Amino acid sequence: MLALRLLWRNWRSGEVKLLAIALTLAVTVVSTIALFTDRLESTLLEQSNSLLGADKLITSNQPHQAAWQSEAEEQGIDTSRVAHFASMVFAGDEMHLASIKAVGQRYPLRGYIDLSEQPFATSGPSVTRASGIPPAGEVWVDSRLLPLLHIELGDSLQIGEHSFTASKVIVSEPDGSGPFSVMGARIMMNMADLDKTRVIQPGSRVEYQWLLASDPDDLQAFVEWLEPRLTEHEEVVGIENAQRRLQGTLKTGRRFLVLAAVMGVLLAGVAIALAARQFAARHINPVALLKSLGVGARRIRLLYLAQLSCLSLLAALVGLALGYAIQELIALAVYRLYQIEMAPAQWQTYLLSVISGPVALVGFALPGLWFLPNVAPIKVLRQDLEVNTGAVLWQIAMACGVLILLVVVFGRDLMLGATVLLALAVVAVLAGLLAYGLLSLGKKAGAQAGSRWRLAVASIQRRRSASVLQVVVFATAVMLLLTLTIVRTSLIEEWQVKVPEDAPNHFLLNIAPSEVEPFQTLLDKNQLSVEQLYPMVRGRLTFINERPKPEDTLNREASLTWSDQLADDNEVVAGQWWDEWSGSESGLPGVSVEAEVAERLDISLGDELTFSIGGLEAKAEVASFRTLEWESLQPNFYFIFQPGALDDYSPMYMTSVYLPPEQKTFINTLLTNYPTIVVIELDRIINQIRTIVSQVSDGVGLVLLMVLLGGCLVLVASVNGSINERKQEAGLLRALGASRSLITGGVWTEFAILGFAAGIIAAVAAEALLIGLQVAVFEVPVQPHYIYWLLTPVVTAVFVAAIGAFSCRHAVNTPPAVVLREAA
Amino acid sequence: MATILQARDLSKTVTTAAGDLTILKDINLSVDKGESLAITGASGSGKSTLLGLLAGLDVPTSGQVLLADEDLSALDEEGRARVRAERVGFVFQSFQLLPGLTALENVMLPLELSGKAGARQQAQDYLARVGLAERLEHYPPQLSGGEQQRVAIARAFACAPEILFADEPTGNLDSATGKTISDLLFGLNAEADTTLVLITHEDRLANRCARQLQLAAGELLISASAAVQ
Repeated sequence: MLALRLLWRNWRSGEVKLLAIALTLAVTVVSTIALFTDRLESTLLEQSNSLLGADKLITSNQPHQAAWQSEAEEQGIDTSRVAHFASMVFAGDEMHLASIKAVGQRYPLRGYIDLSEQPFATSGPSVTRASGIPPAGEVWVDSRLLPLLHIELGDSLQIGEHSFTASKVIVSEPDGSGPFSVMGARIMMNMADLDKTRVIQPGSRVEYQWLLASDPDDLQAFVEWLEPRLTEHEEVVGIENAQRRLQGTLKTGRRFLVLAAVMGVLLAGVAIALAARQFAARHINPVALLKSLGVGARRIRLLYLAQLSCLSLLAALVGLALGYAIQELIALAVYRLYQIEMAPAQWQTYLLSVISGPVALVGFALPGLWFLPNVAPIKVLRQDLEVNTGAVLWQIAMACGVLILLVVVFGRDLMLGATVLLALAVVAVLAGLLAYGLLSLGKKAGAQAGSRWRLAVASIQRRRSASVLQVVVFATAVMLLLTLTIVRTSLIEEWQVKVPEDAPNHFLLNIAPSEVEPFQTLLDKNQLSVEQLYPMVRGRLTFINERPKPEDTLNREASLTWSDQLADDNEVVAGQWWDEWSGSESGLPGVSVEAEVAERLDISLGDELTFSIGGLEAKAEVASFRTLEWESLQPNFYFIFQPGALDDYSPMYMTSVYLPPEQKTFINTLLTNYPTIVVIELDRIINQIRTIVSQVSDGVGLVLLMVLLGGCLVLVASVNGSINERKQEAGLLRALGASRSLITGGVWTEFAILGFAAGIIAAVAAEALLIGLQVAVFEVPVQPHYIYWLLTPVVTAVFVAAIGAFSCRHAVNTPPAVVLREAA
Repeated sequence: MATILQARDLSKTVTTAAGDLTILKDINLSVDKGESLAITGASGSGKSTLLGLLAGLDVPTSGQVLLADEDLSALDEEGRARVRAERVGFVFQSFQLLPGLTALENVMLPLELSGKAGARQQAQDYLARVGLAERLEHYPPQLSGGEQQRVAIARAFACAPEILFADEPTGNLDSATGKTISDLLFGLNAEADTTLVLITHEDRLANRCARQLQLAAGELLISASAAVQ
């Protein structure tokens, strides 16, 4: 109780306010980022999973076993069922081999089905979100089925022995590119109607999917239980192996947020440490007094610990509330913009956010306060007595330890955290040296300049070590801000480059050689263009040299192509492309293999690969390995043969094309003319990636704001440290006849000089850090940012001068009589 | 009369850049219970250092301090703190009030720390006795120097110490205010029958004590006796 009373008195006198604000900010930064990252991650995962319609699914050629269902129910796992198959559908005289998806209750477990009553609508008021699955007797269909069957919505169509009403068109659905979707237009029906159609007979080719969703730990436990029970025909499919394209985006986005979190926490930490040092400095005399009143060191430590614990807990609760509110605002904005409801954060994240308050106190504040109870009681009589404030190295080590702990717990990325910290340590030391040098230059310049300038330079020189510290702190804060801004911009640009507006959004497969020419004429007529037509045969890799291919990789037919041109996003990383390849000694044709799959299959250059193509055997020698960009959404192949190598196997052709939304109906024209051509609609995946990029960049904007706040607080905290001294100086100067404008001008000039020096250092350091990050973490090409070299010192000078002048306003505005009386 | 404070061969040496510096040398003195003692001397003669040693705020390089029969030099800092809490009160030249606390809270603080009940009432009583009943909620910067020292005196006496150490209690005050403060100090001291050890360079104040000791260059010069108030 006494501690609480003392805390209240300290609060009232303003002595703990800065510390409280700094602690609150730290928790706000941590909780905003932690909660937002958690929610974003869950949402992205859910959205990615919405491509599956579930968190995981089990594919099989048989319906799943009833015993699994009861085990799943027992373990609290949500389940649903899907059966994919191809079947002819009829309407009058028209027929079409459709890709049918029969869905069970609760489908989809993740994601949504968007429907419309207006064929070929992609957005707008006619698009509504389905609240369930197709009612019995109704089917929802792909828009392009309507012209193919010459029907309209409300008409009926026949699947097997049962007749259905086509009630709505599907605008988007999870798992849009299911195994049979390439064969034709989608029809979604109720699982309960499946038996009535009698299309599934023994021997029919059906893919059953058992959809699973739950929280990650429970689901993992269930999958671990299930896996040993699966047969070779059953496979667990998750986002990891289903959507490689999204994975890259997710990983980079997450790394960026963690990086931002490290920097945000670091700035808040610096503010806490500075506030704690000031608190400690102000409490040296009160502690000496308490000791003279007979309070022992142990009790003093307990009293302060209790006060600060209460303070950090209060700060943590306020910080969490603020953090929650801020990220909730962003979630609301995301909802308004993209109609995406963000997943809730896990309770552990809330707990960790609250704990971060006391943890930040221990790491950043306590080391600076630890000496307080050891202040000698004789200090009450001997003001000149120096106080040992403890080893600075130890304080820095503690702060780094806590920072790494926070990064590991929240960011789960030790390497990134450690890299940034190490870089920052180097930067801080170099910045210290540079600042010292720059301020010395300022002294020389000041001797020849006007009185404001002289006043400013004198003030900097008087507080030389504090000034150097301020420059280092400003420089670090600005460097972090600059790095985040540039990284953010370049990441978004990079994504935009990878997925340009006119990126191909449809893959067209199964184009017969005889169709190639009329197909291209049709494209020309519609002012559409394709970049390249790839010949393609389907084949299965069977042997690598004399040994059978490992069973766990590439258990399906792969698309094999040949080409003399290397695609733009492909790069040969080992061996030679055809123009340099000397040929095989055994006379076999060459094949270029994608590097990752080569590694998984343990393939070396010069190995002999055997493929089974339609029952025939084809051999080739590995001539090169290629890397390629899955994110580019261009047709990509694991195996590219030397031209002519597959001449004996009648190829089909594939290509990709960009269809603007208003030309979506071209697919109908195309399919009416060439019913065997298969269309894969990538536009949905592209939209998904765009949405994710937008979400991540929203999050990043928020984090930047927090970091900026942290930076401001650091400035205020560091200026606050010298405020009493400044007050006295200003009072004295004014008593001696200096005008207020001279003193104000001096303060502006002083902080502008500090800001300018900090800006120069920040620009240099940010560039160095960026080069490191670009090379080591984000793996993007290094680019200098000259505009920031010019802008940073100027903007920093103005900003720091404004904040400095604001922080010093009391020192300047207090009447000299009051200042001198207080000082007496 | 019983002895409450005794110094035996007390020396204090500090290490400076220029070598060892002896601040106090072989000080021997004793103070009886209820007695008032003034230690006088020029600036830098070691008065404050001696007061710090006698009150257990600091430890001597050699020698002993016995306060109420407890050997302070044999106790650790926690032990000395306990002795101070139980028996000692202070009045400082620079008042040593906590600027963020009101006058009332400053006086309440030691009472609260000792866990005594009725701290507020007791503090109010003492502030009334020093003439500050109307200024309970004022903060130190809002009070004049004399008023601040009155708060400090109220704080010192509120704990009913057996021995009160006063370090230049009027040193920061003009002579009229100084007189008021010294009247208050000696008045309350007589009322509570507290032992008073006072450090001053003002003869007028020293002369009000029953006994005076003069300190010069770290050594006791004269042991003056029984000055008349």
